[in-house]
Amino acid sequence: MRRAARRTLGALALAALGCASSRDPWEGMNRGTFWFNERVDQAVVEPVAAGWDWLLPERVQTSVANFFDNLFLPIVFVNDLLQAKPVAATQDVGRFAVNTTVGLAGLFDPASRFGIPENDEDFGQTFGRWGCPPGPYLVLPLLGPASVRDAGGRALDGAPNYFLPLAVSLGVRVVEAVNTRAALLEEIRQDREESLDFYVFLRNAYLENREHRVRDRVAPEDSAEEDLYYIDEKEEEQP
Amino acid sequence: MKRALRGILVAGALACLTGAAPVRAGSDGPSAVIRQTADAVVAVLNDGALDSAQRRRRIEDIAYERFDFDTISRLVLGRNWKALSPAQQEEFRREFRSLLSESYGRRIDRYEQEQVKIVGERVEQRGDVTVQTKIVGGQANDLQVDYRLRQKDGVWLVIDVVVEGASLLSNYRSQFAEVWSRGGADGLLKRMRERKIATEPASADAG
Repeated sequence: MRRAARRTLGALALAALGCASSRDPWEGMNRGTFWFNERVDQAVVEPVAAGWDWLLPERVQTSVANFFDNLFLPIVFVNDLLQAKPVAATQDVGRFAVNTTVGLAGLFDPASRFGIPENDEDFGQTFGRWGCPPGPYLVLPLLGPASVRDAGGRALDGAPNYFLPLAVSLGVRVVEAVNTRAALLEEIRQDREESLDFYVFLRNAYLENREHRVRDRVAPEDSAEEDLYYIDEKEEEQP
Repeated sequence: MKRALRGILVAGALACLTGAAPVRAGSDGPSAVIRQTADAVVAVLNDGALDSAQRRRRIEDIAYERFDFDTISRLVLGRNWKALSPAQQEEFRREFRSLLSESYGRRIDRYEQEQVKIVGERVEQRGDVTVQTKIVGGQANDLQVDYRLRQKDGVWLVIDVVVEGASLLSNYRSQFAEVWSRGGADGLLKRMRERKIATEPASADAG
């Protein structure tokens, strides 16, 4: 109990630290970690995920994913509350109740068929909603892309794990990771091949996607994009 | 987890944009352009007479029709565009166009069961229009894909694809800037010709 509390505090401190600026000041270190993760992925994770994908029918993989989505719902619920979203919180209680019972411990997702929407929240998004910027980009060993803010968030997202025996919590995480990786086999293979710099590809995609989710998938004001969509305006006018 | 999946489906962007067989130029609005494009791709995918190589080529043709590669090439290089000679600009445009079209062609088969639903249209401050779509069905169900279009000679052409907040233009811009910062224009063009996988750490590249 005390250990869990300490880790939680550590996560909060880390998140508070994240409330600084700049995008990737630790690029050297991050690229090292990224390189390590890529090696581990190619040597172990990807082959295991390929075996998993070959072994298990897609329906089974979907059920495994559903199971973990359902298991994560209490965390989503807490973050609904922290972001003062009573409607979403109510939906998630309903979703959890339906999928845990009718959906057989979350293996199936009848809630979606009943029209209960799926909300996407976590502690990283809550900190973002509270005004905390993502802070420096951070590649975590084995876990992959994060920002300082989101790394703190993830430590809190995983808080329930701290109360489980280490072996159980690790085992559960490995199954979840392999199942997720199996769904991304083709996608990641192609992304690796088509990017000129896969590190930059992932960083850019991660950071933009996270801020999009903090904004609950609503596009930002166009003015923020001026620099991306217009250059050297006067000369650009004549093609 | 499904959300995490989305984040990485960025490059899948192109898969959902689909061009049309040559259509009458001019009169169609942005949403109509996207609708026709999506329909044209579905038609290609459902054409049993085509083998997969032929399908891919058709799909690439569609991308050629619907993307404004001139504008995309300029925007993606930002200020560096002006530093290229006309010949280099031409080469870059050609390489980038083939990179994007091939990427799209490769991907399309995986999106077979999925449909494109147009959910809205947003007029941007300086006249571009963003057509908001959602993927329905399949692994990418509920994926949000926005197409930004700009009018050129009376025709609406796609200049960016934004998947769950991640912009294709922005992503390639970051990558090109990175490669440019290490090897300049020549390095970038060489890189595009080779198009190798980049997973080495910076230190290894610098050496």
